[in-house]
Parts: sequence; structure tokens; C-alpha cells
Amino acid sequence: MKKLIVACGSGVATSQTVASKLSRLLKERGCSCTVEAVDMKSLDRYLAGPDVAGYVYITRPLKDYKVPVYNGIAFLTGMKQEEELQKIITDLKR
Amino acid sequence: MQMFQDLINWILGFGASVFVPIIMIIAGLIVKMKPKDAISAGLLLGIAFTGMSEVINFMRGAITPVAEAMIKATGVQLSIMDGGWTTMSVISWAWPYAFAMFPLQIGINILLLALGKTKTFNADLWNVWGKIFTAVIVMGTTNSVVLAFVVASIQIVLELWSSDAHQKRLQKMSGIPGVTCSHRTLFFSCILWPFDMILRKIPFLNKEFGVAQLRDKIGIFAENHVLGFILGCVFGIIGRYDIVNILKLGLVAGTAMTLFPMVTKLFMQALAPISEAVQAYMQKRFKDRELYVGLDWPYLGGANEIWIAVIAIVPMLVIYSFILPGNNLLPFAGVINLSLAVPAWIVTKGNVPRMLILCAIGAPVFLYVGTAIAPYMSQLAMQTGAVELAAGELISNSSINAPVFTYATQLFAFLQGNFLPLIVAVVWGTCWVLYTRWLKKEDALMEQEEQAQASSEIQ
Repeated sequence: MKKLIVACGSGVATSQTVASKLSRLLKERGCSCTVEAVDMKSLDRYLAGPDVAGYVYITRPLKDYKVPVYNGIAFLTGMKQEEELQKIITDLKR
Repeated sequence: MQMFQDLINWILGFGASVFVPIIMIIAGLIVKMKPKDAISAGLLLGIAFTGMSEVINFMRGAITPVAEAMIKATGVQLSIMDGGWTTMSVISWAWPYAFAMFPLQIGINILLLALGKTKTFNADLWNVWGKIFTAVIVMGTTNSVVLAFVVASIQIVLELWSSDAHQKRLQKMSGIPGVTCSHRTLFFSCILWPFDMILRKIPFLNKEFGVAQLRDKIGIFAENHVLGFILGCVFGIIGRYDIVNILKLGLVAGTAMTLFPMVTKLFMQALAPISEAVQAYMQKRFKDRELYVGLDWPYLGGANEIWIAVIAIVPMLVIYSFILPGNNLLPFAGVINLSLAVPAWIVTKGNVPRMLILCAIGAPVFLYVGTAIAPYMSQLAMQTGAVELAAGELISNSSINAPVFTYATQLFAFLQGNFLPLIVAVVWGTCWVLYTRWLKKEDALMEQEEQAQASSEIQ
């Protein structure tokens, strides 16, 4: 199954908030994809793993990870959330 | 009143892993979750408690013997276990009135928005536990639920004002408009700030240097499994273990460090529906207002400088813990100390040399405050069974957010003749007022500069 990675400092709080919300929204739209919360210190390791469909960032990425990146802050603030969700769904269905 | 107290005690008797899920299910139904989802979230919360208790036990099994061995080898008494912030959050959620903090935070936020006393909507509902944590400390010093909620309310207001005060600077540093950081971890900035004002006068320290490459090289040492392994091995060496046992302890410590966040995630998953419901409610209510959205600190956390500082703080904490008189806390699960690195980053605007000096100045505070609050957290842990502790055993955290403010929340200790926390409260308050004023001045300067630049570009 395809996997989206969300990262924050501990891989526990902020990233899991986004991951929980995003996976619920994706399920509601009939999109099968797991969303995993990880900690920023181990991000490189997780993004290099198999089946990674994208990186949902909470802090602007400073380097090119060679996977599609999405704005995770949208899911925290609710602003432009629908836009970002559509983008993810379109990419996942491709 | 007596009957109410009896009821509370009866519920407490069940232990946190049973009563907190029950409260969660009730709270879930109140925010109109489907019964099936509310029960699922409640169960998940109970499982989080049970899992966390197991992981902490596992850590105890590894750390207690080596702590004793280190006492024998060095004579230094470091008997307080460091469970990190994850353990503190677990114990906080076990407070019987914990869930009341959700409506309190939202109520105060709505009131201040309506009165025009803040521009921030605090969307960070996970860190409601930070207010519960404060309430637990106030309970420990006063045994008064009312005072606990009063001090927690003050913290809610201060967090909103801190969000307002930091917004411009954080927007500039993160490049993300419309949001701010409502985490109380920023309260420590005002303590670091006077030191930074002195340090920035030294020209040598104002040099900028790139740290991206450095982070790529040493970043692996901050990964939980690697850091845990190294710490375990260091403790084993200090405790004069033989080589096999040093490596074994390293692996056990690495395991504990890796499992902590994995289990804590369950809390987050269980509480997500509640915080989403509350957030949706707030967003609907204040849709048409121009507001800053207050978030947890990680949206700032991409900066390489922060992670370099985090790595540098680990050996500082360990060395300080052995040499500082009066410290009883053995740094372990809390050593990823973002509560120090993030404020240092904000105050210095990411200047690495000054950040490192500020970290060296600030680190002892975390050990002393960790030592000071250990009895309160341990007492609640024992009462609720959130964490199993033997009699006399103490647990705390070496990276408490806003340590000076946290120490100050014991201020009512003056009733028993201890005036130190009250004095600390006054010092912190003074620094905070001066610091926020200075932030305002900086913002104004920044705006002027931007305007000047814009007009020169037009010409």
C-alpha cells in the first residue's frame, strides 16, 4: 500500500495530528493510503523506504527528497485544506 | 461536597487506564462523536496508558540498576528517573479533572478574542496537557483544585499573549504567514534574552556559518535508537559494567528510547477526534475574523541550527547532572531537549555560536526544575497508577517546557514559608514584560526597514 510520511519533532504530537486527520479524510474519499507520522531526525531514513508516495511537511523542506511534497500546515489551520487534499488525491490516483 | 470527593476517589481507585478512557468516551459523546468511534477512541486511550506503563517499567528495569552502579562508582546520587515529556503527559492525563481543561482553554480563548485582547486562536489542542501539567504542580503545592485551575487559566492567557508577541518574528523566521506558536516552551525565551543581549555585543560571536552539512554528518546521533544506545553504553561505562553488559544496556536503552514515541502516538490517535471537533467548532465561529492560528512548535522545527543545538545539549545535560550539586535527576528519555533549543533559536534568530552558549547557560535550569517537580508528578503517578513506581521512587523529565515558569507555578509555597518560587515568578514576569516590549520594538524596526527597501526598489 502507498504511504504518505508526515514529520514533526517527536513524530508524536503535531505529525500524528495531521496524520490522523489526513488518513480520515482520505478514507472518506475512498482513497487507500496509509499516513505515517515520523520524527524529523529520522526523516531521511523513512523517505528512502519503499512505497513512499509523498512527504507532507509541517516545516518547509530544506532539501530535495525526490518525492512529491505537500503542505501539512493546511491540515492544522484548515486554510487551503481542501486544495491540498485534492492535490494529494489526484497524485495518488495517478 | 464530601460525596463528590468520595465519588472522585472511587473513580481514581480504578486506575488511570480504566477511568481516563471512560471520561474520554463521555467527552467524545458530548462533542457528538458516533458511539462506535467514541468507544474506539476510549479503548485506544486505555491501551496507550497500559502500553506506556509497560514501556516505563521496561526503562526502569534498565536504568535503576545502572543508576545504583553509578552511585557506587562515583558517589553521585542521581536517583530520579527521567521519563521525558511523554511520561509527563501520561501522568498529566491521569489527573481526574484533566478533560475539563479543553472547555476552559476554548472558553478563555473565545472570551479574549471577543474582547479584542488577543489575535490568536490556539489550535494546538494536544498541548492542553501542558496546562494539566501545571495544574498538577499547583495541586501538589496547594492541594486546591480551584487554585490549580486559576493558575492554568493564567497560563492559557499568557500563551495567547506570547503567541501575539512572537507572531511577526516567527513569520519572518519560518516564512509561513498567518500562524504563530502558542506553545509555552517560548516562555523560556525571556530568560535567555538578557544573556543574548550581552552576547551579541561580542563581534566574534555574530559570525554566521552554514550548518546544513554538519547536520547531515552528525544528524544520526540524534536518532532515538542511536542516542539511546550511546547513552546506555555511557552509563554502563560509568557504572563499571563489563563489556557484554555495557552493550546489552546500550541496546535496552535504545529500545526504550525507540518505544517511547511509538506508544505516545496512541494517545494522539485517541485524542485526535476530540481536538478535531473542537477545532472545527472554533473555525466555524471565527471564520470571518483575521486571526493568527496558534500551533505547536514543530512548524518551526526544520531549521538545521535547532538540531545541531539539540545534539550539543545531550552531553551538556549528562555532564552537568554529575557535577551540579543538588541535582538528583539522571538525564535519559528527556535528553532531546527542544524546550531549550527552540527558545535559543528564536532569541538568537538562529545564530549558532550564541545558541550553543545560551544552551550551556540554560541547561542546568532544566535539571534543577526537573529535580524540584519530581515529587508532584510521582505522587500523582502513584495515586492513579498511571506509572508504577516503588515507594520512594521518583520520576521526572530533564526537558520540561518553560522550566522557569514551571518552577514559578509553585508560588503558593509561600504559604508554607518558602518564598523562592514567588521570587522566581516575579523575576520571570519582569523578564517577560521587558522581552515582549523589546519584541514589539524589533517588529516596528523590521517594518520600517521593509518599507524603506520597498520604496528604494520603486525608485
